[in-house]
This record gives sequence, structure tokens and C-alpha cells, in this order.
Amino acid sequence: MRILLVEDEQRLAENIVGALRETGLAVDHAADGEDGSLMAEQGVYDAVVLDLMLPGKNGQDILADLRRKRLSTPVLILTAQEGKASIVELLNAGADDYLAKPFDLGELIARVKAVIRRGKGASDSRLSVADVEVDTIHQTVTRCGEPIDLSPTEYRILEYLIHRPRAIVPKRELLEHLYDFAWEHHSNVVEAHISNLRRKLNARGEEPLIATLRYRGYRLIGGVRRD
Amino acid sequence: MVFDVTSRSISITRRLVTTVLALECVAILALILAVTVHEHHIELQAFDATLTGAAQALMGSVQDAEDVGDNVVLDLRSVHLGRDSIYRVEDEHGKVLGSSGSRDAITQLAGISAGFHQIKVQRKEYRFTVFHGTRFIDPGTPHGGVGHNITVIYGLPIGKVWSEVFEAIRFFVIATVLFMGITGVIMAVMIRKYLAPVYQLADEADRMTVLNWQFDAPESAKRTVELRPLARALEAALLRVQLSFEQQKRFTRDAAHELKTDVAIVKSSLQFLSMRKRTADEYSHGLLVSLDDFTRLESTVQKLLTLARLEQPVTEADATASFHCSMKEVVEEAVHQSTSYAQLKEIEIVTDLSGAADVLLDRRDALLLVSNILINALQHSQNKSKVSISLVQQSSGVVLVCKDWGEGISEEDRPFLFDAFYRGDASRSRKSGGTGLGLSICKAICVRVGGTIDIANHSEKGAVVTVVLPESKGIPVLK
Repeated sequence: MRILLVEDEQRLAENIVGALRETGLAVDHAADGEDGSLMAEQGVYDAVVLDLMLPGKNGQDILADLRRKRLSTPVLILTAQEGKASIVELLNAGADDYLAKPFDLGELIARVKAVIRRGKGASDSRLSVADVEVDTIHQTVTRCGEPIDLSPTEYRILEYLIHRPRAIVPKRELLEHLYDFAWEHHSNVVEAHISNLRRKLNARGEEPLIATLRYRGYRLIGGVRRD
Repeated sequence: MVFDVTSRSISITRRLVTTVLALECVAILALILAVTVHEHHIELQAFDATLTGAAQALMGSVQDAEDVGDNVVLDLRSVHLGRDSIYRVEDEHGKVLGSSGSRDAITQLAGISAGFHQIKVQRKEYRFTVFHGTRFIDPGTPHGGVGHNITVIYGLPIGKVWSEVFEAIRFFVIATVLFMGITGVIMAVMIRKYLAPVYQLADEADRMTVLNWQFDAPESAKRTVELRPLARALEAALLRVQLSFEQQKRFTRDAAHELKTDVAIVKSSLQFLSMRKRTADEYSHGLLVSLDDFTRLESTVQKLLTLARLEQPVTEADATASFHCSMKEVVEEAVHQSTSYAQLKEIEIVTDLSGAADVLLDRRDALLLVSNILINALQHSQNKSKVSISLVQQSSGVVLVCKDWGEGISEEDRPFLFDAFYRGDASRSRKSGGTGLGLSICKAICVRVGGTIDIANHSEKGAVVTVVLPESKGIPVLK
């Protein structure tokens, strides 16, 4: 999952980016409103964490433009402003959640995860396809109750795919949502991770859970149980 | 504020009504007097005519006596005399031909000249006419008859004149008083109506509360010439209060925003550090970073407190303490303090302290002022440029001029430069450092001692800060 953080306060941004990356999210940071708006409108982010008072373009305008362009990326607002009126206005303008500064970093992470989940149509933090279950909070994967040990990247690939079962996810999309700009891009690395992931998931000679469609992308096969 | 209603209150309505009614009364009294005098004059003329007529009739009734001599008698058969009339007819020998009424009055009139006279008879004012005439007896005889010089005195009580006068003006007086009453009532009603804009203005002003500062003078007050200045003054005063209130609110909001941001940084730094177990190196680095964040929070708090202290009104104690310090030393110290930052940006600081003098300023405040201005200039200068700072002694006071050759200031920003938390790039970005309180603090220091501070662009591109401070004349005696 890839997050965009739009925050002009350098030190605060460093902390948020650090914390979100440590929970396994890819995070891009924009230090001013104009950059933030351009980046958000690319539509490659699974959630946007948006400060309101920004140089160049304020948070309200970024949000309004994003929604005007019919982008449904979940937006979490960070605000140091007082007053319920502005919160109501923001939520009405299309924000999904808000946090008042000074906030709790743990709460921020939980809320970011919640808006990502909601954005993808899931209400539970545990997702499953066939007999594979993914716990997005503890970032653990089990198959038939047996824990499967995945590398962070492998986990992220699976987490992204399990939100879109039976859909063909192009490799480009997968790349966009896995890595932030700070990451070194090597497209063939994804293939290596996919093959590792497939190997770890495919136990006991059953049909492969992840199908590779040449030139088109990847697909997670099997019925999803969301409980 | 509580108005003491019990002490003499003044009502414009009452005053107007009273004044107009009083003036009306005076006018009416004067009019009645004039009419009375005039009427009296006319009545008197008529009265005199009556007297004259009656006297002539008496004269006419002097007849030849029915005797041999040429004597005359008074024959009153065809003469009608008024009631209460007093008369006497006598001939040239003093022989009374006929009389009536009081004898005393007649004696008073003995030998008096012809004409009209007023005499009091038995406590009653009488008006008499004295008439001398010649009556010829037997004018047909050869000698041409005998002439008798007859004197007729005839009088009537003058009281009749006054009763006639009162009779004539009575209707006039009643009508006038009635009209006055009616106009008085109408006037009171109209004045209340005309004063309605005053009450409307008061009502509108009354509608204001602490939360709602909106004040729109009612249209009626704006249209009234007398109320327009008041309505305008009220609007203007409230606008000023509102602006200052808004400014306070903005300051509080911005201060809260600033503090919350700093607290958010400190909190997130520590939480980030404690998210998972880290190595000793990571912890020590994290602690250093957190300490930096905390220092920044401390500095913001410090600046806010400084500003709060400086914006306190000058107390009696401050005024008598009369601080003073040498600007030369202060500028030198400020330059010394910022040398390392200037060297980092390779900026040359040029000083000209020839016109140095002492100023009426606390030394710490003076240093804060100069170093804030200097650091501001350094921050807005390009690397490898220069900043000049000079002191000049003028009649207006000690003038400090600080010039830089940076990007200068935009005209849009100029009115807001001294506002707390205002940053030139229309954002709250802290890239350039500082909380946006520096210039506010400078302004507060200058205003507190009755000095001024201004920022403008100079012709060689760059900003110039001009500070004028009151000069200190000699060292005050410390108490």
C-alpha cells in the first residue's frame, strides 16, 4: 500500500514517514501544497494524509480538486485548527477522517490503515481468500491455520492482491502501489517476489493461488471469505 | 457601565416641548397685550365720542327761561343721559343750571380747561369732558340776542371701557389658548416621532453582544443629518474594536497552531522512537533529535511570553525605572552574536556607528531588537552578499538603519509584516526558520518606548529596516 503525506512541517513529516514505513507502507512526502496536489492527482495512492495549512495550496483546495477529478482516494486530514465547523466542512467536502494535532502516532497509523481498508471495501482487518487468511494489523498470513513466513515485500504484494480477488492486477499497478519514490525501482524484482510468494503459499500440490497472465498481470484465484 | 438614572437626567424631548411651549406662551401674551392696548384705544375713542355727544346734547338743552330776563334754564326732556353719569351745566356767572351725581367731583373740576379728564369719584374711575360753549338767547331781537357762556361738565365711569375691551378680546384669548394646547400636543407627538431614529440607533447598538459585533447603523439614523456623525462614529469605533478583537483572536489561533505543531513534533518524535525496540545508536540519535524538537517548542513559548510581556501596558514602575543603554555596545554585541551565522552564509556585515548615542531602552530589549533585525536581514540575504547597519543621531531620536541586498519585500506583504506569525511567503513553511514572531517582538519593543519601526525596499534592491528610538539624555539617578 502506498501513502502520500502532504505536510510542510519537515520534522513532523520525517516522523510520520518513518512510522508509516516501519509499519510496512510505502510513503511519499510532499512538502508543499502544489506538489502534494499534483502527486495526489496521479491516483496511485491508497490513502492521502493531508495537512491543512500548506504553502502554495491549502489542504481544503487539494481535497476539493481531488474530488472534482473523481478520484476516490481516501483522505485523512491532519489539523491544528480548532472548531467543529471546519471538521464538518472537511468531512462534507469529501474527507474520510481527521486527526487533530498533536496526535498519537499509533492512532494515526491505525486510522490510515482503517481508511485504506474502507477505501478498498473491506470492513474487517482480517481478509481471506480460499483457505489463506491475512491479518493486516499484525501482518501475519496463515493457510489452514498454519502460519506462513513472508518477507515484508511478499506480504505487501499479497495484501494488495487480496483486496482485489479475481481481478487482473497489472504489474505496473502493483509496482505503483508497492514502492514509494525513495525505493529503487527494479521491475524484475517483483517477479522474483511473486514467485517466492507463490511457492510459499502453494502447499500440498493444490492449484496455484496466484496466476500469472503473460503481459497482463497477476490474479489471485479463489473465493474470498470476508468475515 | 451603569448609568445613574436617579441623578438629574435630561430629556431632549421634554426640553424641546417646554421651550417651544414657553416661547408660544410669551408670543401669545405679547399678542394679547397688543390687542388689549389697541382695543382699549379704540374703545376709549368711542367712549370719548359718547361723552362729547352727551355734552353737546346738554349744551343743546340749555333753553331760554320762561321769564322776562335773559336767563337760561336746562331742559332735559329731550336728552337721554347714561346711568351713573355725573354732569353739571353752569353759566358764566357760576350759576348752576343743572347737575347730578357727586358734588365733590364737580368741585374738583371747577375752573378746569376744556378737554378730557380722568378723576376717581367714590372709588370709581370716571372720565369727564369739559365743554365751553356760547348759547344765544332770542337771536331774533334787535340787539341780536343775549349770549351766555355755558360750561358743560359731563362724566361717565370708565369701567365700561374695560368691560367692553374684555368682551372684545375674550373670544380671541380662548381661541388662542385652545390652539396652543392642540399645537403643544401635536408637537410632543411629532417630536417623539422625529426622534425615532435616535431610539432605533440605540436599539441597534443594544443588539450587540460579545459574540455578535455586527453593527449596522439603521438607515433612518444615516439619513438624519444630526445623527449621521454619531452613527458613523459608532460604526467606525466598533469596526476598530472588531478589528482589534479579530487580531487578538487570530493571534490566539495562530499561537495555538504554532504550539500544537511544536508539541506534535516532540510527541511524534518520541512515539516514533518507542514504536519498536531499537539499537543504542538509534536511541541516542532519536533523543538528540527529540531534544532539538523540544528546544524549538521552548523557543516558541519563550517568544510568545516575550511578546506578551512587551505588549503589556507600561506600568508606573517601568516608567520611573527609565532604562537606558548605549546603542553602540548593543549593535556591536548583536553583530558579534550573529557572526557565525553570517560566516556560514559568507555575508559581510558592514557597520557605521559614528552617530551612536544612548537610548531609553532596557539593554536586553535593545539587544533583542537589534539581533532580531540583523538575523532577519541575514536570513533574507543571498549567500556572499552583505548587510549594512548604521546608527545616526537625529532630532527625532536615534535612528538605526539596517539594509540588506536580498529579494526585498513585496508591497502585498508590507501591511502585515509586523503581524504575529506572518511569514513573507504567504505560508506557514518553516524552511526559513523562525516562528514569525521576530518582527512582532521588534515592533512591540519600539512601540513600548514611543519609537517607530518601518520596513521598505531601497533603490539598490533589498529591504531596509528603519528604527527610530527616543534618545536618552544622560544617566538617570537610580533610586
